[in-house]
Amino acid sequence: MALGYLLKEGISGFRRAKLSMFAAIFTISISLLLLSFFTILLINANSVIEGLRNRVELEVFLGDYLSKSDTDTLQTKIVGLIGVEDVRYVSKDEAARIFQEEFGEDINKVLDFNPLPASFKVRLKDGYRTTAGAESVYVATKEMKGVEEVAYRKSLLEMLDTRAQTFLWLALGIGSFVAISAIFLVANTIRLAIYAKRKIIQTMKLIGATRTFIRIPFLLEGLVQGFIGGAIAAGVIYLAFEYLEQFVSMQLSDLVAVDREAYGIIIGVGCLLGILGSILSIRRFIGEKVVEQ
Amino acid sequence: MAIIDLQNVTVSFDNQHVLHSVNFAMKSGEFVYLVGQTGAGKSSLLRLIYVDLQPHEGRVSVAGFDAHRIKSREIPKLRRKLGVVFQDFKLLPDRDVYENVAFALYVTSTPRSEIKKKVLMALGDVGLSHKRNQMPHELSGGEQQRVVIARALVNSPSLLLADEPTGNLDPASSAEIIELLRTINVRGTAVLMATHNYELVRRYPARIVQLKDGKLLEVELRERK
Ligand SMILES: Nc1ncnc2c1ncn2[C@@H]1O[C@H](COP(=O)(O)OP(=O)(O)O)[C@@H](O)[C@H]1O
Ligand SMILES: [Mg+2]
Repeated sequence: MALGYLLKEGISGFRRAKLSMFAAIFTISISLLLLSFFTILLINANSVIEGLRNRVELEVFLGDYLSKSDTDTLQTKIVGLIGVEDVRYVSKDEAARIFQEEFGEDINKVLDFNPLPASFKVRLKDGYRTTAGAESVYVATKEMKGVEEVAYRKSLLEMLDTRAQTFLWLALGIGSFVAISAIFLVANTIRLAIYAKRKIIQTMKLIGATRTFIRIPFLLEGLVQGFIGGAIAAGVIYLAFEYLEQFVSMQLSDLVAVDREAYGIIIGVGCLLGILGSILSIRRFIGEKVVEQ
Repeated sequence: MAIIDLQNVTVSFDNQHVLHSVNFAMKSGEFVYLVGQTGAGKSSLLRLIYVDLQPHEGRVSVAGFDAHRIKSREIPKLRRKLGVVFQDFKLLPDRDVYENVAFALYVTSTPRSEIKKKVLMALGDVGLSHKRNQMPHELSGGEQQRVVIARALVNSPSLLLADEPTGNLDPASSAEIIELLRTINVRGTAVLMATHNYELVRRYPARIVQLKDGKLLEVELRERK
C-alpha cells in the first residue's frame, strides 16, 4: 500500500483540523492526569498498608527457667513453623535496655530486679502477614513448652484485613471507572473530529479505498495525539514533583513516589488511549452502510 | 465481452419503481449516452454499477464482478476498475487539486514515481495543470468538473461513468468535455454518460439508451429529430 501517503495523511490531519486536534490532545492529557492521580494514590496507599503489615510481629515471651539450649531448641522449632520469616532473640538484658530507651527509667533500679522476660520477635513471611497467618503462628507457639505468653497486634491486622481491602477494591473500582471514562471521553472527542469528515470518508470509499486504507491515517493521528497528550500529562506531573517541592516545605516525593518508568508508562497509555479512541470512533463511520437496499 | 450487464433490474424508493425490470448491456470500449429527464433514474442506474446501490431484483454484472451479490471487501476492487464522474463532484475539500486526482492512485498500489507522472498527465488532459495547487473551493464549477474527470481517468479505467458531466457548463466548455470523453473512449475506455443535453448528443452521435417510466429503451437518433 501507499505507505508514504498513509503517513503523510496521518500527520496532515493536524494541519487540516487544528481545533479538533487540540481538543483531542487536551482531553487525553486531562484523562491521563486523572488516571495518574488515581494510580499514584492507589500505589501509595497500598505501600502504606504493606508497610504497616510488615511491621506486625509476634512477641513470644519465654519463661525465666529456660536454659540456653532449651531456648535454642525453641527458636529452631519456631523458625520451622509455616509462615515464619525470621526469629530474633531478645534477652532479658536487652529487654531492659529497650525499656529504658522507651520509658527513660532503669527497671533494675525501680524494682531491684528485672521482671522483663526474654522473648522471640517473630516476623512473618509475605502473604502470612494477615490475621489468619498470625493466628496460626500464635496458636502453635502458645502451645510450646517454655512459652509463657504470645502477643501481637491482632486488632491492627484485622483492621488492615477488612478495611484496607475494602479501600483497595474501592480505589480499584474508581480507577477502572476513570479509565473507562477516559477512553470514552477521548473516543467522543475524536468522534466529533471524524464526524466532520464522514462525507470525505464516503467519497474515499466510492473512489475505491478499502476500510483499512481509510482507517490507518486516523489511527496514526490518534497515536500522535495520544503521544503528545501523554507527554503533556507526564510533563505536568514531573513539574509538579520537581518544582512544587520548592514552594512547599515538605518533600512531596517523600509522600508519594513516582518512578522514572512511570513517565514512560503515562506516555504509553496516552498512545493507547489515542489509538483506542480512534478505533472506537471510526468504526461508526467507516462501517456505515454505503450500499442502499 | 460485456463490461456492464443488467438483467431484469428493479430499483424502487418508497415503494415507487425507479427502474422496472431493466435490461442493459454494454460492450468493452463502447460509448453510450444514457438520456432521460431529471428524476428518470439515470443516477440510480449509474450507482448500481459502482455498487453504491443494490437492486431489489435482478442481476448486475460489472467488469467481471457480480455486483448484486458482491462481498463488501470486494467492492473496492470493483470500484478501482471504474472512473466515476459524480453528478455532485465529490471532490475532497480538504486537499488540493493534485492530491484529489492522486487519491485515485493512492488507493491502488501505484508506485510513487508513476503517480506524479500520471496525475500531471491527467491534469494536462483536462487543461488544469496550472491549477494543481489550488483547493477545490478556489475553482469555478467548470474547473471542478474537469478535476473530477481527471480523477476518474487517472487510473486508466476500463469503464468511465459520467453523470451529467456537462450539467454545469456553458456550451463551449460542454463541447470540450465531450470531446475529451470521446478521446478517452478512442484510447479504449468504455464510456457511459448520463445526460439530458440532447443538443450535445446530436452533435456527437453514439449509441443512445433512454430511461422513461422505469423502462430502458434503445433510441435511434433519427427518430428524435
Ligand atoms: N436515496 C433516495 N431515496 C429516495 N428516493 C430517491 C433516492 N435516490 C433517488 N430517488 C428518487 O429516484 C428517482 C430517480 O432519481 P435519479 O436516479 O437521481 O434520477 P436522475 O439522475 O435521472 O435525475 C427520483 O424520483 C428521486 O427522487
Ligand atoms: Mg442524476
